[in-house]
Amino acid sequence: MTQTRAITLNALSLYAVAMVLAAAYAAQFILQELPCPLCLLQRILFAALAVGPILNIRFGPRPSHYAMSLLAAVAGAVASTRQVLLHIMPGDAGYGSALLGYHYYTWALLGFITAIVLVAAILLFDRQFEEDKAVLPATGGAFAQTAVWLVIALTAVNVVTTLLECGFGACADNPRIYELLKHAA
Amino acid sequence: MEFTILFLGTAIVMLIAWRGQRPLALGLFGAVLVACVATYLHHATDTLKLSF
Repeated sequence: MTQTRAITLNALSLYAVAMVLAAAYAAQFILQELPCPLCLLQRILFAALAVGPILNIRFGPRPSHYAMSLLAAVAGAVASTRQVLLHIMPGDAGYGSALLGYHYYTWALLGFITAIVLVAAILLFDRQFEEDKAVLPATGGAFAQTAVWLVIALTAVNVVTTLLECGFGACADNPRIYELLKHAA
Repeated sequence: MEFTILFLGTAIVMLIAWRGQRPLALGLFGAVLVACVATYLHHATDTLKLSF
């Protein structure tokens, strides 16, 4: 796999992260389901997954960048596994609605495991780590740049919505309202 | 509030990864990840009614 192809795959992975963050917003705004603290932590770790690909696009693929994504994915898998286990008892309805039979934290666990497998798979291709600067655009081209700014924008919007939801104190265990908007309502 | 700070930290790491210095991005990423794990462990040791 050439460096250029690896960068295209990294850009695609950023679009995948952006899709996950956008899907979480769809549940939040369309279904009016506010994310619990553990759900927010999983969102943060999905966003953290994107740092490695951003560095790969800017500086070229390096094993250390992939390692960063692996660490974020493992931490995310631990957090989502905990939430799955919290609701594993028979009769427990789970937290939030289910999508295609699985709750969002179960999808998150599958997403983090998929990320671990895909990062491990892309690490198998050594040629991407060879110097190939002559054919590589400085910042990966418009496709990759759009992916980077999309993920950054979605993460920045999450800063605002999380502040609105949690306010300046601890986030509620089972949030029903936006803390900072309750006086305005 | 800690989740807002973690999201803000992640957004800053992304911006530095894209526009700033690589070693700074790596260091800050490590700090955010440690903070995420610390937040997880802090909440995981609380008595929980629901997901947290």
